[in-house]
Amino acid sequence: MMIDLQTRASQIETEYVRKFKEEGGKVVGYACVATPVEILEAAGILPYRIKAFGHPDTSLGDSYLSRFNCRFCRSCLSLGLDGTYDFLDGLVETNGCDHLRGMFENWQYAKKLPYFHYLKVPHFFREDALEYFTEEISLWRESLSRHFGAPLEDAAIWRAVDEQEALQARLRELYALRMRKVPALSGAEALSVICTGSSMRTADFVSLLDGLLGDLSERKVEGFRARLMLLGSATDEVDLVADIEQQGGLVVTDALCYGSRSFWERKGESRDPDRFLAEKYLGNLFCPRMFTEYERRLQFILDRAEEAGVDGIVLVYNKFCDLHGVEAAALRVDLEKRGIPVLVLEKDYGSQSDTGRVKTRVQAFLERIGK
Amino acid sequence: MAKELTKPLEGLFNRVYDIFSIVDRLPDDMTDAEVEGVLHVLPTDLRRTMSAFLAPRLREASLEFLRLIKRWLEGARRAKEEGKKVVLVPFNFPPEVIYGFEGAWPITSEVLTTLGVAALEGQGERYWDFAMGLGLPDFACSANMIEVGSALTETDFAPDIVLNDCFASCDINSKTHEFLARYLGLPLVFLEKPPDDTPRGIRQYYRYFRAMLSDLEEILGEKLREERIREVLDRANRASEFYWELWDLHKFKPCPVPNAFSLMTYGIRYTMWGQEEAVSAMEKLVKIAKDRLSRKEYPAEREVARAWWTYTSYYFDMPGFFNWMEENGITHLGDGLDLVFPRIIPLDDMDSMVEGMAETARNMPMTRQMGASSMSAQWLEDIIWATRELDADCCIYCGHHSCKQTWSGAAVVRRELLARTGIPTLVLQGDAWIKRMTSMESLQEQIKEFVDNVVAKKREGRRPTRRKPASAAEAPAG
Amino acid sequence: MRFGGIDVGSLTAQAVILENGSILGYKSIRVKTNPVASAEAVMGELLAELALSPGELTFTVSTGYGREQVQDTGLSQANVSEITCHGVGAHWLMPEVRTVIDIGGQDAKVIRMSPSGELEDFVMNDKCAAGTGRFLEVMARTLGLSLEELGTVSRQARKRAALSSRCGIFCETEVLRFLQRGADRADIAAGVNRAMAERVAALVRRVGAEPEVTMSGGVAKNPGVKEELERILGLRIRHCPVDPQIVGALGAAVLAKRMGGGS
Repeated sequence: MMIDLQTRASQIETEYVRKFKEEGGKVVGYACVATPVEILEAAGILPYRIKAFGHPDTSLGDSYLSRFNCRFCRSCLSLGLDGTYDFLDGLVETNGCDHLRGMFENWQYAKKLPYFHYLKVPHFFREDALEYFTEEISLWRESLSRHFGAPLEDAAIWRAVDEQEALQARLRELYALRMRKVPALSGAEALSVICTGSSMRTADFVSLLDGLLGDLSERKVEGFRARLMLLGSATDEVDLVADIEQQGGLVVTDALCYGSRSFWERKGESRDPDRFLAEKYLGNLFCPRMFTEYERRLQFILDRAEEAGVDGIVLVYNKFCDLHGVEAAALRVDLEKRGIPVLVLEKDYGSQSDTGRVKTRVQAFLERIGK
Repeated sequence: MAKELTKPLEGLFNRVYDIFSIVDRLPDDMTDAEVEGVLHVLPTDLRRTMSAFLAPRLREASLEFLRLIKRWLEGARRAKEEGKKVVLVPFNFPPEVIYGFEGAWPITSEVLTTLGVAALEGQGERYWDFAMGLGLPDFACSANMIEVGSALTETDFAPDIVLNDCFASCDINSKTHEFLARYLGLPLVFLEKPPDDTPRGIRQYYRYFRAMLSDLEEILGEKLREERIREVLDRANRASEFYWELWDLHKFKPCPVPNAFSLMTYGIRYTMWGQEEAVSAMEKLVKIAKDRLSRKEYPAEREVARAWWTYTSYYFDMPGFFNWMEENGITHLGDGLDLVFPRIIPLDDMDSMVEGMAETARNMPMTRQMGASSMSAQWLEDIIWATRELDADCCIYCGHHSCKQTWSGAAVVRRELLARTGIPTLVLQGDAWIKRMTSMESLQEQIKEFVDNVVAKKREGRRPTRRKPASAAEAPAG
Repeated sequence: MRFGGIDVGSLTAQAVILENGSILGYKSIRVKTNPVASAEAVMGELLAELALSPGELTFTVSTGYGREQVQDTGLSQANVSEITCHGVGAHWLMPEVRTVIDIGGQDAKVIRMSPSGELEDFVMNDKCAAGTGRFLEVMARTLGLSLEELGTVSRQARKRAALSSRCGIFCETEVLRFLQRGADRADIAAGVNRAMAERVAALVRRVGAEPEVTMSGGVAKNPGVKEELERILGLRIRHCPVDPQIVGALGAAVLAKRMGGGS
C-alpha cells in the first residue's frame, strides 16, 4: 500500500481525480493551509491543494514571475500554464505570501479559470481581524454557492467540519505511529500520504487512512542513526525527505504546512459556522506570515520536537522565501539555545542538481551531532 | 560570532548624523571654488554624492534638503535626550501621524539606509554584512537590512518602538522589522492593510488604523490632542499643495524639474511631512523649478527621453544616476515612490482628521499598489495615470533583487502598459542600495541602449504620423 | 599500520596514506568518468608509487561526491562527509585552526572546529556557482587565462573592475562587457577574485571566523582570492602546510585511523 501511495504522490492528476471528474465532480485548487476546505467539501467539490512535486521546469512560469521569485510558485505556475492543471474548475487565492499571490495573479491573468476567488486572510489574530475573516468566509461561501449552484447550508458545513475533525484525528494517529520509538513509517512515506490526501475528498482520505493505520500498526522502520524533525516552508518534495533519510536521519515528525501544521491544533468555538471556521483557521495558523506570533510558533515546534524525542531539526526553505528565510535566522538561534541542534537547509525547489549538496549537509549535520 | 567580525562599529545613524552636522556650516551662496574645496576633503563615497548634490544647478535645493535631513536626525537625537520615544517606521507610513504625538519622533528605515549609502565611506555594506552574519537571508531587502543591520549591532542610536505597516504589501519588510523588534526587545506596533479595495476593505483598514493609534497612545502614554494634530496636518496640507504644484511643473517640456528632485520630494515626504521644514523645502523646490522654467533651462542640449521609473530608482551612485541621466537628456519624471498621493485633509474635527490620516496611509506607495486587491492592477493604473499626466515616453523598472512582490506583477504591468499605451518598459536587474550587485556603468549602458534604440525610434516614428493630416480612410467614423 | 583516505570531488580526486601519525604519501588526479574509477585510479597510483598493495591498508575512509559509491565497491570501509573531513584534516595539520574555508570545484564550505577537533558548525553555499572553483574556471576561460594566471595576474591590477558578486551568470556577462570595452585583463581578474571573495566572505560571516583561519581546496592556491578574503574579513589566513587540495583526503585518512583502531 505504501508503494502504491508513493506512486500516487508523484502525480498531479491522479487516477482518483480523473475518476472524480468523470463522474461529474468539480475540482477547485487552493494553495495555502489558511483555506477552510470545509466550504469546498460542503459544496461537494474536491479541494485540490496545488502541488508541483519537485517539477523542475519553470520556463512557462518564468515568463511571468522572475527568477527572484520562489521556485515552488514558478513550478506550480508552469504546470498551470502548460495544461497539467486543466482539470481544475477553479482556483481560490489566498494571500499566503508575496510569491503565492504572484503565482495566483499571473495564473489567472494568463489563463482565465471559470471560477476564481480571492480569500483575504488577515495577518494577525485579534477580534477585528477575526470579524473580517468571518465575513470573508461568508462572502466566499456565497460566491461558491452562486457559481457552482450548491446550496451550502449550515448543516452541510457542519458535516464537513465533522469530517475534517475525523481526518485530523486520523492524521494525529498516523503521526503517533511515526513518533514511536521504532517508527512504523518514514518521513518520506508520511509526506506521500499527506500529499495523496491533498488531492482527495476528505471522506475518502479518511477511509484510506483507516486502512493504512491498520496495515502499519505492526510495521517497523529500523536502521536509522538519528531522529529528525523537519520544519520550514511548503514542501511537497517527497524525494527531498527521502534524500535526508537516506543519510541515516529518520524524519519522525514535522512542523510543515504539508504536515502537522495543517491538522494538529485546529479547533474553533463559535456556533456560527463561518465564525467557527475563521477561529479554526486564523487562530491556528502556525505560519511565519502571522505577525507577532513568533513565540507561539516556537512553542508549537518545541512541543512537537519534545513529543517525538528528536535529536536534531532540519529547517528547510526555498531560496527567496522571505517569510521562512527570516524566521529561520531566529529559530536557529532559539532552538540551539534550548539544546536542539539545527541544520538550516536553504535550497532550490525541485532541483535535482541540488541533491548532492543536500545530502552532504545532512550527513555532516549527523556527524556534527555525533550520530 | 558576527559581532567580533564587524567590530569596531559605530552605527549607521550615528555616523550619518556626524556627517550631516557639517551641512549647517555650508554657506547658502557657495561658490564653485568653495564647493571644490569642500569636496576635496571628503572621503570618496561621500564626495561622489556631494558632487551630485552640489552641482551648480542643484546647489540651492540641495542645501535646503540636506538641512532638512539634518534637522530630522537632530530631532530624533533631541527627542531621545528629552525622554521622548523614537519610532522606527517604514517609508510607506506617513510620519505626520507620529508628529501628532508630543512624545514621539519618527525615523524611517529606508531613508536611513539611503543616507548611509549616500554618505558613508563603504556605503551601507558593513551593516548588510552584519545582518548576513546573523543568518538573515541574502535575498532580503537591502533597503531595510542596512538600517536594521546597523540597529542589530546594538551600537547604534536605537529606536524605542518599531512600527510596521507592510504586511500585505511586502513580506520581507514586515518580517525584517518584526525580527528587529524581537531581537532588541522593543514594542512592535502594526497596521495591516487588507488587500481589498472594496468599501468593506477600506472600512476595515480604517478600523485597523484606529486600533494602531490606540496602541501608540497606550505605549506613549499620551492621547492624540486635536489641536496638535490639526497644526501638524495643516503643515502637511501646505506641503501637499506644493507637492502638486511641483507635479504639474513636470508636465513642461523640456522638464524644468531636475531629476534629483524626484528623490528629494520623497526624501521630504518620508521624514518631515507635518513639520514646517517640509513646507519650506517643498516651496523651495517649486521655486527653483519655476525659475528654471522661466529661463527655459535644461542640462542637456535637448530632452531625449521622458522616463517614468515604475518602482524605485537606484541610490548607490547619485551623480551616476540622477545627474548622468539628466546630462544625457533623459528626464527622470519620478518613480513609484513619488506616488504618495498627498491629499488635503479636512481639519474640521478629530474624526475627519483621523480618517484623513488613514486615507493618506492607505495611499502611500507600496501600500496602495502592492497591498491592493491585485498586485498588478492598481500599480498599472497608477503608472498609466502618471505617464499620461506627465507625457512619459518610456518606463524603466529597476528590478531591485529582493522586491519579490513587484517582480510578481512586473511582467503583467509591462505587457499591459505596452498594449494599452504603447509605452515600452526597460527591465533592469540590480540592487538599488548595494553597488556591488550590478555596477552603475552596466546600468547606464542598458539605459542608454534602451533610450537610443527603443525610445528614440519610437519618437521618430511618432513624428511623421503627427504631421500627416488624417486621411479620410483613417478618420474616425462619425 | 597504514590508513587511507580517498576524496573524490567534482573536478579532482585525491588519496592520502598515513603511517605512524605522518603522511606517507599523497596523490591528486583529474577525475575519471565516474567516482569509482577515479578512486581506483588515484589510490592505485599512490599505492604503486609507494610499492604497497591494497591489502596493506588497515582501514580506508572515502569522502567527496563519490564517497558512498566508493564504499559500496569496497574501496573504502566507511564514508564521511567532506565537511567533516576538511575540518579534521586541517585541524590535524594545525591544531590551532578553528575555521576552515574550503572552496572546491562545485561548492564552498566554511567549517568551524572545536579546540579538540570536533565539527562544531558549518555552512555551505547554495546552488549558485558564484562562490566556487567552477566559477573561477569559467571566468578564467572567458578572460583567456589559466587558473593560476587568474590568481596572480590580478596583482598587476590598477583599477579593479566592479563586478556583480551575487550571481555567476550575471558576472560573466559583465566580464564580457568589460572585455568588449577594452578593459585591462588584470583589472578584470582582480574584479573576479574580489567577487569570489565577497561571496565566500558572506558564508564566513554566517559561521563566524574564529581564529586561526585556514583555507583548503583548490581555490586556496589562488593568491588573489586569498588576499581579497583577508582584506574583506580583516584577518590573516594561515597558509596550509601541505597541498590544500589534499586536506579532505587527509581528514579521511585521519578518521580511518580513528575508526580502524589506530588510536
